Amino acid sequence: MSDSVINHIVARAPSPGHHIRFFRLGGIETVELTDFHARAGRLALWLRELGIDRGDRIGILAANSLEWMLLDVAAIRLGAVSVGFDPAKFDTDTGLSERYRLSVLFTDRTPTAPGSRALGEVGPAAARARPGQVLEPLVYAPDDVLSLKLTSGSTGEPKTLTAGVGSVDDDLRAVQEMFAHGADDNLLVFLPLSVVQQRYWTYSALRWGHDVTICTYESAFPALRLVRPTVVMGVPGFFESARRHIQARMGDTAGGDADGVRRNAARQLFGDRIRYLWTGSAPAAAGTLRFFTDAGLPIFEGYGLNETCIVAKNHPGAHRQGSVGRVLPGKQVLLDAEGVIHVRAEHPVCRGYEQAPPGVSQSVFAADGTVRTNDIGRLDEDGFLYIHGRADDVIVLDNGRKIAVRPLEEHMKISPAIEECVVFCPTQTHLVAVVSPAVEPIGPAEERAIAEQLALTNAAFGVDEQIRDVVVAHPRFGVENGLLTSQLKPRRERILDTYRSRIHDNQGSIHAVRD
Amino acid sequence: MQSEIETVARKNLARVLETPVDPADLDLDEDMVGAYGLTSLNKVLFLMSACDDAGVDLSSFTEPDVAAMSTLRDVTEALSRHAERAA
Repeated sequence: MSDSVINHIVARAPSPGHHIRFFRLGGIETVELTDFHARAGRLALWLRELGIDRGDRIGILAANSLEWMLLDVAAIRLGAVSVGFDPAKFDTDTGLSERYRLSVLFTDRTPTAPGSRALGEVGPAAARARPGQVLEPLVYAPDDVLSLKLTSGSTGEPKTLTAGVGSVDDDLRAVQEMFAHGADDNLLVFLPLSVVQQRYWTYSALRWGHDVTICTYESAFPALRLVRPTVVMGVPGFFESARRHIQARMGDTAGGDADGVRRNAARQLFGDRIRYLWTGSAPAAAGTLRFFTDAGLPIFEGYGLNETCIVAKNHPGAHRQGSVGRVLPGKQVLLDAEGVIHVRAEHPVCRGYEQAPPGVSQSVFAADGTVRTNDIGRLDEDGFLYIHGRADDVIVLDNGRKIAVRPLEEHMKISPAIEECVVFCPTQTHLVAVVSPAVEPIGPAEERAIAEQLALTNAAFGVDEQIRDVVVAHPRFGVENGLLTSQLKPRRERILDTYRSRIHDNQGSIHAVRD
Repeated sequence: MQSEIETVARKNLARVLETPVDPADLDLDEDMVGAYGLTSLNKVLFLMSACDDAGVDLSSFTEPDVAAMSTLRDVTEALSRHAERAA
């Protein structure tokens, strides 16, 4: 496994001249990668003094920070397993150590549970020299566990799965082949580091020698301006906000050609060094992708799940509009008779959930680690993958017709008044949409805009695909009320649970005008 | 009469609210999240633009400063303080 990225990070210091930065409003902390690697090594020695050994689990419940990333790389160098907890989802450290079998948990809040420690201990421990102490040589095998992932379950406790070193290596090598991150690059990361993929970009920096900047979601836009990244690792919701902002700023500029004005406004927000924008984790609106491409900021959509890591990705060398790109080397997409995507990998992420309700793991994972994604898609003749929706999102009407709801939902979201839309079929006879408005409280103008969009959407689709009623969500879908995941995807089951009575009882909803 | 800073703040808040809102109709003392649905991401975008237009360096504010700004009046007062220092 000589080309393992993770083993490379364990065995060698990074090449000098590149930096990791941590941006917050009011300040930025810059650390040379060689120094970062050395600090992680000293931290690993301290963790060893605490009794942490190979295979032990280190929990991290904290906002993105230098200490977070130091702990993660220290865990890698020690052979320990990091377990990230998104602070937006976990409001206490109580019970985490027992549930996830942690040897220690670090938190940026006041530690309350036995086994919890303050994240503030990490910096001093990483700075303290330990003369004569060295880490044991360590070589990972592909099936060794790098990290424990927690997935966003629709209800109850998150499911957990282990991430194998081989799968992370495969992803990192494939991304490097596609995007060739190099010495002039600076990758901006603002999604939670509790998501393993957000830590990839630091691993990439350590392996291939480029800069990486980490901040919080809220501070991403100010960071863009200050650090002038070349790559932004985002999600559709972020790029949608950016698009609206750019369009509003364009309105301030009188005259000139529209393309030039758009490009200037985009550069004002994203800086003048962008090489490309990365989006994934949820479907991006075609209009948003086109907007950024036309603004001179190429944006590349991909596809993957926690259970599969990155499956497909558009990139500068192979990009087809409407697709999520070609399947990565080492991965194989198999389509069953229903068009459901199954992903087989040379190095699977894992071969089953570690914790999940009974039967769930077997319904997702085959014995060899092949994952039934539950997404419906197709491959074109050149190997580009297209996602048409979730198998769960296909509604079978009482007349036997199958309706894929995602195109309907995407069409409803064309309206600026609608931020999110989820379509249900309460009685197998008609469709009802629950929309999360762009603003609240909504007034007559917004209600009219939603009704107009409903009419437009119904006009664009067939007789079986007509949405009869629209329920306007109040409050809007949000991470805080559990109706969006931390990656801003609607949680269909929770939305159904929340609005079940209004979905079934159309009193007070917005109705389609029927002849 | 509105100060120049208040005008700037109203204009930029109205702009991130996405649906048409007359800047003059915004209530200085309403909670921007509760009353106008301002998201945390758009709050920072609003503040960035308002700082640009008011000639205030965004780095004057820390994340706790921004979190403490719940009304348009909070933003206007904070911008005014920093604009005076910059002058």
